[in-house]
Amino acid sequence: MTSLTSRVATAANINEDDGPPALFKAKLNNVRPLVNMLRAVGFRTRVLCTISNTGLVFTVDEAQAMVAQSFFRSSLFSSFFFDASAAATDDDHPEYASEEGDGDDGVATQITLPLDKLIECLTLFYGPGSGGNSGSAHGISTSTLLGPVNDLRGATTAELEYKGPGNDFELMLEENGIISACRLATFEPEPALDLEFSRHPVVQQLIMRSDWLRDAFNELDPTSDAVSISISATEPYFRIATIGDNGSTEMTYARDERIVDAYFCNEEMENRYKLSLVLRCRSALAMSDKSKVRVNQRGFLCLQFMIPTDTDVSFVNYIFAPLVSADDEPA
Amino acid sequence: MRFRTVVSNSNLFLRVVQSIDKLSKSAILKLTEDKLHIVVITDVDSGLQLWTDVLNNALFAEYRIDSVHNNEIYLEFSIDNLQRALKSAQGALHITLKLTKKQQLPVLSLIIKNQSSTGRELTLTQDVPVRVLTPLQMENIREPMVPDGHVHIMMPPMNSIRSVADRMKTMGDRVAVGANNCGEMRIRVANDLVDITTYFKGLENLNDDPTQSEALSGRRPNDLRPDTKRFFTAVVDMKNFIRFLQSYHVAPKNVICCIIENHALVFYVYIGSTGFGAGSGMINDNCGSLTYFIPIRQV
Repeated sequence: MTSLTSRVATAANINEDDGPPALFKAKLNNVRPLVNMLRAVGFRTRVLCTISNTGLVFTVDEAQAMVAQSFFRSSLFSSFFFDASAAATDDDHPEYASEEGDGDDGVATQITLPLDKLIECLTLFYGPGSGGNSGSAHGISTSTLLGPVNDLRGATTAELEYKGPGNDFELMLEENGIISACRLATFEPEPALDLEFSRHPVVQQLIMRSDWLRDAFNELDPTSDAVSISISATEPYFRIATIGDNGSTEMTYARDERIVDAYFCNEEMENRYKLSLVLRCRSALAMSDKSKVRVNQRGFLCLQFMIPTDTDVSFVNYIFAPLVSADDEPA
Repeated sequence: MRFRTVVSNSNLFLRVVQSIDKLSKSAILKLTEDKLHIVVITDVDSGLQLWTDVLNNALFAEYRIDSVHNNEIYLEFSIDNLQRALKSAQGALHITLKLTKKQQLPVLSLIIKNQSSTGRELTLTQDVPVRVLTPLQMENIREPMVPDGHVHIMMPPMNSIRSVADRMKTMGDRVAVGANNCGEMRIRVANDLVDITTYFKGLENLNDDPTQSEALSGRRPNDLRPDTKRFFTAVVDMKNFIRFLQSYHVAPKNVICCIIENHALVFYVYIGSTGFGAGSGMINDNCGSLTYFIPIRQV
């Protein structure tokens, strides 16, 4: 079974031994899980991609107040090669959730890619009008997601390759004997926004089923500028509220075993966040089974979504900086 | 001038008109003694052109045409109007089509006879306003002359191309379509951010110009076809390519692509008597064709 790259090379009359060896090369039997993980952060046109032995991390940020990261582990690929010795050592890692852990020596290579184009390429064989980037800047609805996350129908296989700085990011896709060779421009990685979530103690945490949180978000008044989130040791234990032109909405939930899996609250707090930024996470939320809500001592909010991938779970993190009003005491 | 006929295959007639629906608002109908021609020109210099012809006896019966110019009549009409009229004629007992005048203006009148549930005969008339063109005006509308094609190849299944093209259309305003004589086709689009080339293999090449009859029987000797792996490519406006791909409601089985490098892309769709796309390889058994001309991008 010849590799896709060599078949394309034959088709295109290129000698694939030319040029530097690959810094990163990986194969996927089905692009769908990767497409879903990209769509989970798909509301920006550029994405920072961090490649290491652990896998790929896709990071986007917005308004200096929100960072979203999607983790795609190397074990999700059918083959994964990363030449750590050739990669430039990079001290500026984006922040990893503690659940991920590095497990390696922290060597990574970073590139900025056109995210919308990457998703368009991966969904080349999805069918007219049904693919593309559903995580547009104008907001997404669950209905634009293509079926269950583990749906492997009509599988497109892919080979990803990156030879290092100055080279394009290459994607070779195949479905039903049709091969597409895509080259994406790469850009100097822009330093990732670091909201330093893990550097401050977590004071509130709860894990809940995502369908509950989805319903809650659907109820929020989208014309409101801010959303407030409060967790308390007494009733109501968890509260999400908006106040907008159309009035106010409020969802409160009791510590119900069916909804809340794990919960602690060391300090009662109410924090407000920009609603339009918080709603960016709906794509990831829609794909996930469970969501973990954490707030640290500085009032920063971290939403972590657990998305079933293959037979395992993948994570997408969203971190939000709180809105500070004029009459708040400095932290 | 006089024109009157019975429409015996209104379904085929409708499907031909539906295929051209997305291309333009209006088209030209050329009625002759033996064939019906439809011409759609989106832009005389740089646009896609579609030339369709269908044998009269595949669509009509009791056909009568009479004019001082070789018994030919030229009419300009709105595609949407004719389409809607034909839609309402589907399944009718009897359909007559004739050229007539209503309120001093020329129309193509479709007289549709149906039977109600009680057995009474119902007659519905749909009038499609037309503009009659003079022979001189028709003279100026000519099928583009193109040199012999460098390569003729059967297109891959239209569904695969449509999916790929749908993504590619956002990536650039021009697309390069190439093929060789080894059954391979490639389509490429590129911009500052992304460059995509899609390869199709295992396609059937046709060795001769398909507009000549018995096209498949002739095989050119090898010395006239050097370097069969060499790709011939035409770069056309993405808009025109997409227009061509979107112009079917019925996905035909067989579309032939002819590439004339540095000149044009020409696509031939054969209309079989029961529908679109004759059986595999058999283009003799057809009653008409749709020929799409897409000129190469000028700059």
